Formats: sequence, C-alpha cells, structure tokens
Amino acid sequence: MPSDGARVLVIDDEKQIRRMLNISLTATGYNVAEASTGHDGLNQAAIFHPDVIILDLGLPDCDGKDIISKLREWTQIPIIILSVREKENEKIGALDAGADDYITKPFSMGELLARIRVALRHSAKAEDEPVLAFGEITMDIARRIVTIRGKELRLTPTEYEILKYLALQADRVITHRQLLRAIWGPNYQDHTHYLRIYIAQLRHKIEADPSQPRYILTEPGVGYRLVKDSSDVQGNS
Amino acid sequence: MAYFWTFLITVLVTIIGKLLTPYFELLNIALLYLLPVMISAVYWGRGPSFFASLLGVLTFDFFFVPPLYSFAVYDIRYLFTFAVYLLVAIVISTMAARLRDELDKAVKSERLTLALYELSRQIAVVTDLHPLFERFVNAIADIIDGKIILLLSDPGNDKLSEAASSPPGIVLASENERGIAQWVLEYGQRAGKGTGIIRESPTLFMPVKAEDRTLAVLAVTPEIEGEPVSPAQYQMLEAFANLIAVGLIRQRLSQEADKARWLSESEKLHTALLNSVSHEIRTPLASITGAVTGLIDDAVIDHKSREILLRTIKEEAQRMNRFTSNLLDMTRLESGMLKPNEDWCDMQDIIGVSIREVHDLLQNHPLQVHIPADLPLIKADFALIEHVLINLLENAIKYSPPQGEITISVQQQGKELLVNVINAGPAIPMADRKYIFDKFYRLHASESRAGIGLGLSICKGIIEAHKGKIWLESSERNINSFIISLPIPDQPAPPISIVKGEENAV
Repeated sequence: MPSDGARVLVIDDEKQIRRMLNISLTATGYNVAEASTGHDGLNQAAIFHPDVIILDLGLPDCDGKDIISKLREWTQIPIIILSVREKENEKIGALDAGADDYITKPFSMGELLARIRVALRHSAKAEDEPVLAFGEITMDIARRIVTIRGKELRLTPTEYEILKYLALQADRVITHRQLLRAIWGPNYQDHTHYLRIYIAQLRHKIEADPSQPRYILTEPGVGYRLVKDSSDVQGNS
Repeated sequence: MAYFWTFLITVLVTIIGKLLTPYFELLNIALLYLLPVMISAVYWGRGPSFFASLLGVLTFDFFFVPPLYSFAVYDIRYLFTFAVYLLVAIVISTMAARLRDELDKAVKSERLTLALYELSRQIAVVTDLHPLFERFVNAIADIIDGKIILLLSDPGNDKLSEAASSPPGIVLASENERGIAQWVLEYGQRAGKGTGIIRESPTLFMPVKAEDRTLAVLAVTPEIEGEPVSPAQYQMLEAFANLIAVGLIRQRLSQEADKARWLSESEKLHTALLNSVSHEIRTPLASITGAVTGLIDDAVIDHKSREILLRTIKEEAQRMNRFTSNLLDMTRLESGMLKPNEDWCDMQDIIGVSIREVHDLLQNHPLQVHIPADLPLIKADFALIEHVLINLLENAIKYSPPQGEITISVQQQGKELLVNVINAGPAIPMADRKYIFDKFYRLHASESRAGIGLGLSICKGIIEAHKGKIWLESSERNINSFIISLPIPDQPAPPISIVKGEENAV
C-alpha cells in the first residue's frame, strides 16, 4: 500500500541498515530521508518534516533518550525505536521518554511496516470512536458494553478500564508504567503484579487459549500490546 | 593486696608464737618469723618478702623481746640475733623470688612454644590466613608488651599494607616508619630499634623472608622505650617470622596452582568455543550465500523453488540470531554480568510468549499445554525465564521425530513451581545425562544436528541465578522430560480496586 508518500526519517549509524530500510521503504511507497548521527537526525527532523521517525538507540554520538526528549520539546511526530533483545531497560526508558513504539533487531520488514502504519494511523486521528472492534470482540465505549462473538462479556470495572486503554491504542506497545499510571495513578506505577493478575484474568475471559493469547500480547520486560489483527503484527511470513 | 596478706600471716605467726612462749625458747620462736618471709617470697616476689622480713624483726622485738611491748632491747645480744635473722630472711627471699622468676619464665616460654606449635599446625592447613595473622600478632604481643603490626607486600606493586595488628586496627605511626618498612622489604634486613640501621627509631622492623624473597615486614614497638629487645625475644620474633613466611609461601603456591588450572581450563573452553562458533556461523552462512547467489544469478526461476530458497535464508538467519543470543547470554553468565532483573511474573504469560517465539519451528509438532488456573505469581526476570523455555522448547523440537508431540505442564508443589517440558523421542542415554548441562556437551547421537551445546548450560545458569533447579527426569519410556523448579515467594498484597465495592472475580 503506497501510503500517499508519507515521509520517513531513518536515524541509524549503520550504513547497511539505512540502505536496507531506504530501499524497502521506498519500494513500499514511502519518502525516505537518512541521518547517520543523532545530531544530524535532529536537524533533518526540522528540515525534512517527516511523518514518522525510525531511531536506532545505539547511536555512537549521543544517547537515544536525549534525542527523543529533544524532539518531544517541539513535535509529536511518532517515533519508532530500534533496539536489541538484551536491552529492555533501554527500550522502556525510550518509551517512557516519549517514543511511540519499538522493534527488536533483527526484525522483519513486515513487522516494521505494520508498526509504521499503526504509528501513522494514531497520529492521524483523535481516538473518539464510540465502538472499538478487534477480532471477535467489540467494545461500546458509550454504553460500557463488551461483547465477544455477539455475546455480552462481564468484566469488572478494572478489567474494563485496562481493556479500553489497550484497545484505544491498539497495535501499540504500552509499557507497564504507562498502564499502571493510567488505571491506578502514579503512586502505583511500579506495582507490576497488579497487571500480572488483571491481564491473566482478562485473558481467561477473552482469549480462547490464555496460554497462547491472540489479542493481548506480552512484550517481555516492557509491557503489553493489544493486536487488532494478529496477522498484522506477526507479519513475518 | 600482697602486702596485706603478708601482714596477716605475720599477725598469725605472732599469735602462735605467743601461745608457744611457755614451752619454747625465744630463739626458736624467732625462727617462726621466717615462715611469712618464705611464703611471700614464693607467692608474691621480692617486695612483699622484704616487707615480711622487716615486719618480722619489729614484731618479734615488740612482742617477745624483754621489755615486752616496747621496741627497746635490754640484752644487747638480741641485736645480733636480729641481724642474723634479717640476713637469713633476705637471702631466702632473694632465692625464692629468683625461683619464682624462673618459673614464670618457664611458664611463659611453654605457653609460647604451645602457641608457636598451634600456629604452625594451622598455617599448614588453613586457606584464609588473615584470622591467623591476628592470632600471630597477639601471640607476639604476649612476649613483648607494645604495638605489633604485620605488613604484607602486595605482589602486584610491592607496596606494604597493614594485614594485622595488636591492638587491632592500628597503623604505622608515620610516613617515616613506612619508609623504613619499605626499605626492610626491599633489602631483607632488620632495621630500627636495637639494630645497626636507624637504631634511634622506637620500632624494630623484622623482615619475613622465604627463599630469598621478603614477603612481609613485622613492626614491633615495645611499650617501654628504653628497654632493648633481648636476644631471647629476637629469637622468638625470628621463629614467628619464619612461620608467617611458611604460611605466605604456601598460600602463594596454591594461588598459582589455581591460576594455572584455571588458565588451562579456559584455554580448553576457548578452543571448544572457537571450533563450534566457526562451525555454527559458517553453516547458516553457507546456506544463505548459496541461496542468495542462486536468486541473484537467476539460476532458479520457478516460483516454488525461489520461495523455498527465500525461506531457507530467513530460517538460517533466525538460527544465527538465536545462536548469537545464546553466546551473549553465556558470556554474560560467565562474567557475572547477568543479574536477574526480578519482578512479579505470571508463568502462564512467560509460557505464552515462549510459544509465540518458537511458533515457526512448531509447525510439525502438536503442542499440549496444561496450566492450572490460579497459579501463584513468581519473582523472576521475565526475559531470562522466557529464554530458558525457548531453549527447552527448541531442544524438544530438535530431538523429537516429525509429528512428535510436545507437552508443557505446570504445577505447584508446596513452595515450588514446577514447569515440565516433555518431548516424545528417543530418551537421552543414561551415560549422557550427567553431562547434558555442561558447556559444549553434545549428545553423541546428535553430532549431525545444529547447535553447540550451550542451550542447556545457559538454562542451568539462569535457573540457578533464580535460586531454582533444573533437571532431566529419568524415564524408561520414549520421552524426555526437563523440569524447572522455581521458588514461590509470599504473594504480594492483592490489587486495590479502582471502584468502590468492586469484586475481583467474574
């Protein structure tokens, strides 16, 4: 889908990765600019006016988190970060600093394209849909009714709030901290076990097999992601 | 106190003397007064026994020599008696006191010999020498009153540092003293008090030498400044210094042996690692290169074959990625950098993520998952436990026949959570079971398969870092069952509800 030539800025110090992303994204119909340092990246962000920024956290000249904070001083452009498996804290730090999503290297192009689409979608519209739908589930926000395959689902108020928060930001990663702050408030932002308990409860109610969830996916060490269409996120085949 | 007792005995003797007066001559009674002199000489030394002699003469004169109850003497001959008595008393007390001194010395030297013996016995067996050094300096302080400091030289830079002291916790008095100590370390000769070098120093520095090397320096500062160190004390110090040297040498040798052993071990590991790494990277690289060149050269044109080649590339790349992760984890485990970042986790959640991770590999194997509802939470590093499960699942897939069933089951057993990963397939031979958790150990039967035998040893490292256990359940049937057990901590307080009166259950 050539997304009407949306502009993507790639900030990565690895030439190979930049080239690979440039070719693939251009072929998909995006308009791509490259930057090899954080400093250059910040300049480009101001000149190129990207619609989405792909930022590698392992830049040699500066800390990825600083770049995100500097960008967030003046713009809400969605930022997708590239990170490696071992560095959960780095990812969480970047997400809490204002990044929108992350993807772990090595990643498939399908996954990255899905992330970009979600980021663009979220920045394009305000979230005021009265009815959210994902898979076999619909959430009527106005009437506080959740149905699965047309049957009404009984959720506790906390379960409902968690599901709503995740569904409103579907396909995006939500860190533990973000979710805890949103539901229980800042005093509870480190009570990870609250989420473990409630997410398990929710899965038992909405997932066919809670051991192999289809809707609420866990991002190890980072948080959760509610997927609308599972082929979109696992799009690596 | 001693003087008081001496006085008391003299009073007693006087009373006895008074009682005996009707029956004995006065001179015999005078002999009685030698008794307190002797007793006090033996028990309390020279001072009290002189006191006893003097007191004896005066009391005898006062109570027995006429005129009674006066110090005056009628018969001039008694003065002669007094003189003889005093002389005898002084000789006795001197002799007795010397005897006592000898005895004291004998006791002290016996204690010292005992201490030396005891320390020499221990220094041959104890591995941590530091507590022993404390006892050394205390034993030395027993012979020489004063400050004793043992300074050890750091093998790296030959700088001395305080290892033990009596009283504990003191250091060398000045930089000057440190300079002398450093000199002693360098030249291996005594210096300071009572020696030919810098004799005006209040401290004596003794080298602790073994095989021409000086390993430590003993600094001795006697309490009484003027008193020289006696030859006997020198000898004792020498004996102690030798013992310390023996201990230090022994420690150094055993450290060197450890190091040598460690080096050869790590060399072996290096070779094994290099061999497997090059094999494990080259194999997928070869497949990828082959597939890619085929595609670039347009040698393969039919759609189906192209698809197969592309899939091969993807799978092999994923394999290399898993391998790199394992290698990285191993390195971090080895270097102690891998510290579990523990937080509350739901085992079902971890299992779910692990299954999603190996989804592609699971295509040809039916999977059964048995997880009871209401599992307690555990405290663990989510990503690390996930990694363990992925490794176990990968093994299960790799070593089971096509369509072989794989089962994951979880159960709570007291204060432990057990996770069981079972695969159908030839049971691992008994002979191999002992070694499967060792690094680079691979089953003989599996040499043709990919892998370098890191997976299980990483699992073991991670699980042990969580104070858990991992083992292979023996089973005579055709299955392999790997079990992880993790401790279940006290559960956290239940979540507060965001709405009043909310029930947690359905």
